[in-house]
Amino acid sequence: MAALLRSARLLKFSPSGLLQITGPKRSGPPLGRLYSGAVGGRRAGVCSRQISRVGENASSRVWPYAVGGVRNYGAATERRDEVSVAVQSKQANQFDWALAKLDHSVKRTGRVTKTLLLRIFHDICRTGYPSSNQALLLLRSCGSLLPEMPLNERTELAHHVWGKLQELRAQYDVSHYNALLKVYLQNEFEFSPTDFLAKMEAADILPNRVTYQRLITAYCQKGDIEGASTILGFMKSKDLPITEAVFSSLVTGHARTGDMESAKNILPVMQQAGIEPGPDTYVSLLMAYAERGDIDSIKQTLEAAENADCRLMDRDIMQVIFVLAKSGYHEHIPEMIECLKHERGYVPDAMNLCLSLITQGQEDTAFLILKTLPVAQFENLGDAELGNFFLRHLVNRDTSLEKISRYCKELQESSLHSTPLTFSLYCALEAKKTDTCLELMKLVKAEGLPLRPHYFWPLLVEYGKNQNTTGVLEIIKAMQGLGVSLDLATLSNHVMPLFSSAEAAQQAFKAFGITTKSGGFVCSGIRLLAGTNLAELYTLISDPSFPPLDIQVFCNSLLTGFKKFNDMDSMVKIVVLLYNDGRFTRRGVNTTDAAGFFLYNLIDSMSEKQLKAQEKNLRSFFKQLHTQNITISQNIYRGIKNLLELYNTPELLKNVNALKRSEERTSISPAVELREATDNGAMVLVLENRLAELKAEKKPVSPTLKQAINALCAEENLQRALKLKQQYEEDMTPSIYALLINLCCRLKNADEALNLKRELNRKDSSAALDGRKYVTLVRTLSLNGKVEEAVDILKEMKEKDVVMKDPNITGLFHTFCAVADTGDVDAVQRLQDTAFTLGLIKPSANLCSPAISAYLKRDDLAGALEAVQQCYKRYKHLPRMHDILVGLVEIGDTESLQKAMDFMSHERGEMIMLYDLFFAFLQAGRYREARKIMETPGMRAKPTRMQWYAEKCISTNQMETLEQMVDMTAKLFDCDRDDMYGYILQLCKKTNNWQKAEAMWTKMQEENFIPQERTLRLVADILRKNGQNVPFEVPETWYDPAKTPQLVKLAAEAAAEAAAAAPPPPPTAEKTAAAAPVRDNYDPNLFALCKKGNVEEAYALVKKADEQGLSLRPGSYDCVLRALLARGSDEDAMVVKDIARSHLPNFQLSENANNMYIITLCKKGQIEGGLETLKSMLQSDQVPSFHAITKLVQALGAQGDVERIQYVESQVKILGIATKLSSMLFPNNTALAHIKNGDVESAVELLEGLYTDPHTIKSSMSFLFRKVLQSDDDNALDKLSAMAERLANHFACYIPATDLFLQLLEMGKVEEAKFMLARCNAVAEQKTVLLSYVTEKAQMPGQLDKIKTLVSLIPDAIEKEVLYSYTMKCHDLDKDFTSAKALYKEMMEEGIAADELFLKRLAALYRNAGETPPFIEPPESFKFYANKLRESRAKAQATAEE
Amino acid sequence: MAASSKKVFELFVARIPWTAAGKEVRDYFGQFGTVKKCLLKFEKETGFHKGFGWVSFTTEEALNNALQKDPHVLEGTKLQVHKNRHPFPGRKVNKESEID
Repeated sequence: MAALLRSARLLKFSPSGLLQITGPKRSGPPLGRLYSGAVGGRRAGVCSRQISRVGENASSRVWPYAVGGVRNYGAATERRDEVSVAVQSKQANQFDWALAKLDHSVKRTGRVTKTLLLRIFHDICRTGYPSSNQALLLLRSCGSLLPEMPLNERTELAHHVWGKLQELRAQYDVSHYNALLKVYLQNEFEFSPTDFLAKMEAADILPNRVTYQRLITAYCQKGDIEGASTILGFMKSKDLPITEAVFSSLVTGHARTGDMESAKNILPVMQQAGIEPGPDTYVSLLMAYAERGDIDSIKQTLEAAENADCRLMDRDIMQVIFVLAKSGYHEHIPEMIECLKHERGYVPDAMNLCLSLITQGQEDTAFLILKTLPVAQFENLGDAELGNFFLRHLVNRDTSLEKISRYCKELQESSLHSTPLTFSLYCALEAKKTDTCLELMKLVKAEGLPLRPHYFWPLLVEYGKNQNTTGVLEIIKAMQGLGVSLDLATLSNHVMPLFSSAEAAQQAFKAFGITTKSGGFVCSGIRLLAGTNLAELYTLISDPSFPPLDIQVFCNSLLTGFKKFNDMDSMVKIVVLLYNDGRFTRRGVNTTDAAGFFLYNLIDSMSEKQLKAQEKNLRSFFKQLHTQNITISQNIYRGIKNLLELYNTPELLKNVNALKRSEERTSISPAVELREATDNGAMVLVLENRLAELKAEKKPVSPTLKQAINALCAEENLQRALKLKQQYEEDMTPSIYALLINLCCRLKNADEALNLKRELNRKDSSAALDGRKYVTLVRTLSLNGKVEEAVDILKEMKEKDVVMKDPNITGLFHTFCAVADTGDVDAVQRLQDTAFTLGLIKPSANLCSPAISAYLKRDDLAGALEAVQQCYKRYKHLPRMHDILVGLVEIGDTESLQKAMDFMSHERGEMIMLYDLFFAFLQAGRYREARKIMETPGMRAKPTRMQWYAEKCISTNQMETLEQMVDMTAKLFDCDRDDMYGYILQLCKKTNNWQKAEAMWTKMQEENFIPQERTLRLVADILRKNGQNVPFEVPETWYDPAKTPQLVKLAAEAAAEAAAAAPPPPPTAEKTAAAAPVRDNYDPNLFALCKKGNVEEAYALVKKADEQGLSLRPGSYDCVLRALLARGSDEDAMVVKDIARSHLPNFQLSENANNMYIITLCKKGQIEGGLETLKSMLQSDQVPSFHAITKLVQALGAQGDVERIQYVESQVKILGIATKLSSMLFPNNTALAHIKNGDVESAVELLEGLYTDPHTIKSSMSFLFRKVLQSDDDNALDKLSAMAERLANHFACYIPATDLFLQLLEMGKVEEAKFMLARCNAVAEQKTVLLSYVTEKAQMPGQLDKIKTLVSLIPDAIEKEVLYSYTMKCHDLDKDFTSAKALYKEMMEEGIAADELFLKRLAALYRNAGETPPFIEPPESFKFYANKLRESRAKAQATAEE
Repeated sequence: MAASSKKVFELFVARIPWTAAGKEVRDYFGQFGTVKKCLLKFEKETGFHKGFGWVSFTTEEALNNALQKDPHVLEGTKLQVHKNRHPFPGRKVNKESEID
């Protein structure tokens, strides 16, 4: 912002200058000169810039909101985004997200990367049926938005996208053909315009103005003036307007034939035709000179453009630079770089220029441009990282290393990048360019930077994937050549897996001439020995010269070797060595503990079978260890003891016990340890008579008097009312006075009103009127020349604290406006100021405006300006500034205008001032001046201000003005074009101007941006309403009420036919002919029916269409299919699928449909079908949903199909979506399958393994217990129950026990639950789990008993306050008022405070019962208290944690 | 198993430069006390690590020493260091690669 204001301040704004340009003379006072563009040089040009040039640079105007604010353009970050795009898009079923990503990329950087575009394209193809707009978006991305791709590849991609989307039945209209043309032009693709037109004709699509323009450009690019003239002639014959774009193309055309004179002469020709040459024309001319390296003519042309008030932007200059580079005139480039002004959006434009230059092999020029970029300021250490994108693209384009190295050196030396070489290496590794990587590594090494083994991993991973052994060996050799030792991690993770055995690896190494003496080989050898020959291992590692090596490196192998128990001597020796020698343990770890832990791992790694089989050997082993004075710590002993107790090997335990260290013999009981864990005339007569009677009877008359006067007020009979008042003077009450005062006001009798008011004051000084009557009185007084009296009333209002409601404030505003309308400036001012000063009302722009309106009413603009300034000073509001400015512009009062501008700039900033001036010029019809303002450097879009003016134009039907505004903002930075066209279309809709709407659609193509669906729908609505054809596919909305009657009729017909179930009449020729145009009715209707849930009708409609031989859109079939599946009608769904296939042979179920199909089949027990669908999904690259997988696995589990569960599990792992599934899905169902097959042991083994493995994520197995309990399988339950106890008691793993306990409770098996608790009392400690059980139960009515049972079994399971809250919630759900009251009473007795939520619930019960609660109901909403409670609990927990 | 009941003193370290592997991270954090475990997972698909990992110390003191220092700079890059709030992810797959 600061930078922007600086640039705006460069020119001191002078409206006088602006106003004079419109006059016949071009020269004005100095300020005016400045403004016409001579001094500041590069500003302000009045021209029609509608066409996006065929430029090489990806320019931000290509997209509606291209280019955002200033941000971090770290290319590395961007690349990382892509990875996440890849992962996330795979998981996202909807690609809207991806499309938004694409849009975002263009907005941010003015480009898209190939990877991102391809992924989105792939996703669109895979997931669904592309809409016409999506197709447009993809197509338009295949041109200059891809600066990193060579031109020919971009065109190939465009053709691929075009063909594939056509296959998928995306509907193409003229906008698609125009987009393809644009891509051709951007990619300098040579094609035959005649063939292109023939292709459009074949597709029955009429070319429009934009098509012809682009074809002319195509001819001109080839230097074919004749071809261009033919089309130009055709356009003239069709009366199509010839715009600047056509002339610019002709400039290029002539230049390409080598006729620069004719090219130059196009400009005067244009002027003769009434079109001023704009930047586009000048750029075409500049580029033509650039192709010839004619720097003098370039400079002359730049000057000519400047003199013609035509402002060229950085992007324009960049195109000239690009052409100079491509044409080999590098010597002139620095001069052109000097012309760059670093405008807003410079960075992304310059980056794209760099990328394009590199792609075209112009690295040196790219490097020059790179150096013009600002070095990003990192909060991080001030480390420079300029040019990451540059280096990456160099590497990707296989630029010579000599060049890369040279650039790196320069970047580093000029402190632009701290680690350019390392970054280049990273890019090369990422791109898997082995040779480049190795060469770069040499350079890195030469720089004295470290080379590490893991630098080679990305390359090894690539070769490993392809099983390319030779490739791997070559890398290893290169590693050694670079002096990087082959470490164990590299060997074991990236090398060994490729060989059948260690020996085979050794041999291959030898054959390849790789030395096998490095550290990694040693480790690898150790592992080999540890698993095979313990004696030799001992000899090797006991040698004092053997280097330190962490036992973890070969621990697994050693365990394997030990478990063979064939060399007891060596085993003992090795343990003794580990026990005493520090070389095998990490610093800080006690060697004796390490040895003990090894023993624990040994026992842990053995299954029960193995253990029993080796019991003898183990006993002897431990005995020998004992004799060697090996001891183990208490912890280790306990661990081993738990394992051994599980396997029931008491003898062996004795041997282990012998090893336990004596000083730690004092054992701690396991129980203690567990605790630690946590709504007239005659009537008036009647009334008057009644009054007299009452008076005679000396009874109170006031109420009757009021009634009488009220009746007189209604007939507006003031005289008689006043007479009555005189008669009953003493009986007048303030409210009767109020009635009379109000009547006077209504009759505009200010004097009488005032008299009455004064009389009232005399009688009762404290009496006050209501707000409305006061305001009416103020209005009457001020409009009848009694301003001072009105002011007094205002004061009185304040004194009496009259409440000003919104209608009263509006009343007062209308009073001020009415006074202003008389032009009495002073009166309004006095009234306004009084009201504000008193604080009766708060000043707002609207409330301040009547004073200004009064001046405007008198045509006193200077006065108005003065007043508005005063107003700003006092109230910080600028009412009616726009009207003042428009007035000043219209009368040409430059002096006042200048004053206004200065004031505005000073007070509100130049940007706001410029917008105010812009709207004033627009409103006054001074478009030329308005345009200049928009071209001020540093201007950016202010959407809210533009919306304000656009809405003003729409409400006053100012089409011309609105169009002008939209046109002028075409190149405005950050301007949302879709919004702008939306405004014009809104006015078109209001005035039913379909011609204009259609023209706008064409213009959108010309501007080359993608309109949003709502914009397209607006165009379509206007066209349809006027009986016109819509030339494009309209995005459907199912909720559109306009379509409903037609829809209901169609559907009813179809349903009736279906219900009659009569054999369908043979489709007569007449019927078929009549049906053809109806097709378009089916698709949207089907969509609407499905959305509304009328699935039967939709289904009937599909069948009807089929009988008529109509093919519907694939998306429609899919929609009906899914609706049918959602109801479980899989058979009907398959009928729809077959119908679809009969019309569209390539029809496939969409991803969502397949997922629903799987679920439906599984629910019906057709698991085969479900599994087959899953397989076909995987084959067609679709991603099954978690819900579908879960249903399928559960169905397989219920069937006992272990094998297929494993198959699904492996497939899910390959897809990489396992993490989103419940971690227990597979184990639970596999176990269930085992149980189903009667193999409870395998189930137990599986689960036990899972829960004892310290490295897996464990969660609830309640699902399994529920299923087993439901099936009454006692055997399985017993075994699982034993397992749960074992896990709890020996392994401190309480999840299964707690799950079982809660499931028993849930099933009402209270006795069993009690036993469970007795056996595993630690369950009582699992408070978090118990609380979540209670929370869950308290969500549904009728569950209180379960909570009560739980609490009876474990009294301290839940905190009292919390328990009472949930109990209250249950009573509320159960509508149990009596119990709720009792509960409250109990709480009061116990002295426990009830929280607000509790009281709120109880109060509601009291109200429902028609009673009043004996306490004050908390005033806020439920949600409020729920949040409050949640926050306080979270806080309490956080405190507890600290 | 004996170790699982013990208190753990773990750091979550992010923004680790690609040039550093487990060894470099371990060596760096060794200045604050004995590093018990250093986990930096490399992606099987790419051969690069994800830029984050976990470091555990044997003592609370070492953990606090490390938490007190700011900034942590490794290979010219500022690391993000936090006390680990979640347990180490499942990691038994290949014990022997942990020392990388």
